[in-house]
Amino acid sequence: MRETNFKQYKPYFELLDQLFEIERKLENIEESNSISRNLNKMKDIFETTLFSSSTSSEIGLTYHNPLGEAYNETRLDLEASIAGNSTENLVIKEVIKPIIRQKSGGSTLIARKGVVIVESKN
Amino acid sequence: MYKMENTINIGIDLGTTNSAIAKFVKGDVIVFNNPLDYGRSTLPSVVYYKKDRIVVGNKAKEYLERDPKNVVGLFKRKMGTSESFQIKSINESKTPVDLSAQVLKELKTFVNTGDTLDSVVITIPASFDSIQSNATKEAGKEAGFKQVVLLQEPIAASLAYANMKKSKELTDGNWLVYDLGGGTFDVALVRIKDGEMKVVDHEGDNFLGGSDFDRLIVEKLIIPKISEQYTFEDLENQMKSATGKYNAKYYSLLNQAEEAKIRLSAVSSAEIIVERIEDEEGNDVDMEITITKSEFNDLIKESIDGTIEMIKTILTRNSLTSNDVQFNLMVGGSTFIPFVRQRVEEVLQIPANCEIDPTTAVAIGAAYYAATKQKEVSKDKTEKKQSTISIKASYNKASKETDELFAARIKGNTEGLFYKIVRQDGGFDSGLKELSERINEDLPLVENTYNFFTLTVYDGQNNVIETDIEPIGINSGFGISGQPLPEDICLEFDDYDNPGHTRLGLIFERNSVLPTKRTMTVTINKPILKNNESDRLWINVYEGPQTSLPEANKLIGVIEISGKQVSRDIAKGSDLEITIMISESRDVTVSGYLNMSDQEFKNVFNPKVRETNITLLKDQVTDLSSQLDEEIELATEKEDYETAGALSKVKKEMEAVVDEAESLTDDDVTDKRYQLEDKKRKIAQKIDSATKNKRLQKATDYYYETKAACEELIENSGNDHERKTFSDIISQESAFMATKSPLKIQEKSDEFHSIIGQIRWRTPDFLKGIFGSLLNDQAKMNDQSQAKSLIDAGNFAIESQNWDRLREINFGLLDLLPRGSKEDITTKIGFGL
Repeated sequence: MRETNFKQYKPYFELLDQLFEIERKLENIEESNSISRNLNKMKDIFETTLFSSSTSSEIGLTYHNPLGEAYNETRLDLEASIAGNSTENLVIKEVIKPIIRQKSGGSTLIARKGVVIVESKN
Repeated sequence: MYKMENTINIGIDLGTTNSAIAKFVKGDVIVFNNPLDYGRSTLPSVVYYKKDRIVVGNKAKEYLERDPKNVVGLFKRKMGTSESFQIKSINESKTPVDLSAQVLKELKTFVNTGDTLDSVVITIPASFDSIQSNATKEAGKEAGFKQVVLLQEPIAASLAYANMKKSKELTDGNWLVYDLGGGTFDVALVRIKDGEMKVVDHEGDNFLGGSDFDRLIVEKLIIPKISEQYTFEDLENQMKSATGKYNAKYYSLLNQAEEAKIRLSAVSSAEIIVERIEDEEGNDVDMEITITKSEFNDLIKESIDGTIEMIKTILTRNSLTSNDVQFNLMVGGSTFIPFVRQRVEEVLQIPANCEIDPTTAVAIGAAYYAATKQKEVSKDKTEKKQSTISIKASYNKASKETDELFAARIKGNTEGLFYKIVRQDGGFDSGLKELSERINEDLPLVENTYNFFTLTVYDGQNNVIETDIEPIGINSGFGISGQPLPEDICLEFDDYDNPGHTRLGLIFERNSVLPTKRTMTVTINKPILKNNESDRLWINVYEGPQTSLPEANKLIGVIEISGKQVSRDIAKGSDLEITIMISESRDVTVSGYLNMSDQEFKNVFNPKVRETNITLLKDQVTDLSSQLDEEIELATEKEDYETAGALSKVKKEMEAVVDEAESLTDDDVTDKRYQLEDKKRKIAQKIDSATKNKRLQKATDYYYETKAACEELIENSGNDHERKTFSDIISQESAFMATKSPLKIQEKSDEFHSIIGQIRWRTPDFLKGIFGSLLNDQAKMNDQSQAKSLIDAGNFAIESQNWDRLREINFGLLDLLPRGSKEDITTKIGFGL
């Protein structure tokens, strides 16, 4: 299905993880220096500029925070640890690492799986 | 030596916790990757039965502890026993053989080389007796293999080592194979005599491995440290118990512990951050716990010493001393831990051999062995798996939901067949489901992209059955009302190659699907002084072909930022962040953000309400008029009377528009500005088409000129990278030439230019030339004393032929040149291309 090797992107993934952490921390504080603008700019660089060249444009990395989404065994974009007793109606309770996708043209690939803790909402 | 044709070639490591499959190809072995878990080539040996599907591998492993009635792992330990596992969801019992067969079938899907897998080598632990061995064979048969050859794991690891060493004849003697994986430990004494390898003795612990170490980190290091600083009552139990308050956090910490463990193999300490948890007094926990290598080593020492004891037992039992053992071959993921290697080596005084990849060694060895084994399956009986299955699928090709129902009717005999649907980005796998006349599946969609799924039909042994179904494509998010853009959307820039003019830069290409959004950062090319009204930046968004003149296109959004609006002086060279968003209903949102003043200017333009800025309109009319004069003059000069004639016709209309524009007051409320805007645009379009050939010719000439120059330089002094970039451009030549767009062609010339620049700036002659011309400008330089010392250094660099240094000096000198002496650029818009 896929043969793309994302190993060389690992340092970028680590950077994106940090951006994700900053974004998450920003949600809880009020600040007037529009830090989120700088953050969004960095995300945008990853998404549109960092990897584009004259021969291959529109390649970029984005991350997605799946917090609160439903989880089941068909989701291959996540590595989950299941907490609690039940495995029915699982939802994502904590996101340790976001899902990183590679955009190229109109389609996307999972570049790195997200790491999450899920728990039944029942 | 190996006969490709008739040897087995496929080797399988059917492990207690993880399995893998490898193939011998032309003297080498490839380990197949897990198609659903890229980057990894192993498959967790865990099977999960749901009511309507079977899931094998990682996803099953996640549910292992939580849903033990439906998920089975570690069944290899039960091979050859009469024990079976009662599966609740399907109300059936499965034997270890059934479960192993499921794992083997899943491994078949790893093989992407199109081989038919009739014959395989499967590895078994050294401890397996003949009943257990036969059970493994049976599992192989159940998975559809017609010939199964067994091989002991320590021998497989040894073969992997021997082949890596390329000296197939290992010297006679003894060695140990130390296999510490994720959840099991095995050690075997292997003896080679006259080229024949044999497992002489073995020991093991079925409940020891890497995951135990993660647990130890959390329980013995992290939890005590948290409890020390914060108030918790029995934190360990609250974490470990499924009904405990902090159970979710426990798994989160286990994850971090595993990562820390891996890091500790390389560095001497690792941090674990504990946050997002509240203690019983309501305090937020916020801790950074440092785990040192020595702390970790102390933690696992007891377990490792336990494995050493087992080795000692083996040695004693076989009347051997450490000196009789050549080396200790390290296998299994946990032998990546340096302490494991060191400790075992230190205590036993037997060299630890870490030369093979511990996670795939067994599969690799099995494949080497397979390459020496003849296939005994007669080929003639290859049943043609002709497609008798026809699938009629129905689903929405565009959706705004997070998932979409896929339904299909199957024609043909579906008995004993299974299917699986996977999303091509690797994010979804339905698991193996029974095929019936009608099938339904909810397909989860990734937003704002095309989602492609493939449906594959398998027989009971996971051989692919060909069908007539096409890939399933669903457009998420922008289907249905998501209309394409009828024209290019562009932004106006100062044209740095063409002083006095502006040009368009493409933002969204024609036929991009709405809604769409783009942000870009541009550098401001003139200062905007606070309160100075005449200092202005323009964000002008146009609709129309990017190749035409700005004035010829329709202005659909404009933001003007003047000195009156800024809260402080904005320096030249600072950033302006421009965001352009177009909604499905074609509302255009334009915003400009000035980094220096932290100010945002934003406006939404509705396509039905036209916005025409009078100042801008007047400026454009004036510019257009002078441009027209210029073009007429140029065409006449070149005796291009055809163009000149066409342009002269336009001249009359132009004059009328100029008059009208002059009479327009800045606060005019009538429709006049719109009419004028329309007229202006039509004139610009006429100028545009009359002069297009000229611009195209110019761009094309320039292109071939730079191409030739670049080619020559590359031939003489280009490196591989430059050669590749050059040939990449050439390979696209016919495509971009066909666009007949001067801008596109110019862009490619620019790319040649940057190659030329790269090469030149490392060529001694060129560097000397630049240096020489900079010498002439010495008097103009901003900092005379610095200029002098740089020039002295430059002369020295030339003398000593230190070209890297000369390059730096040239850059330094260029920086000292006054700004004004660089070419004048247009600053009408305030930023350029």
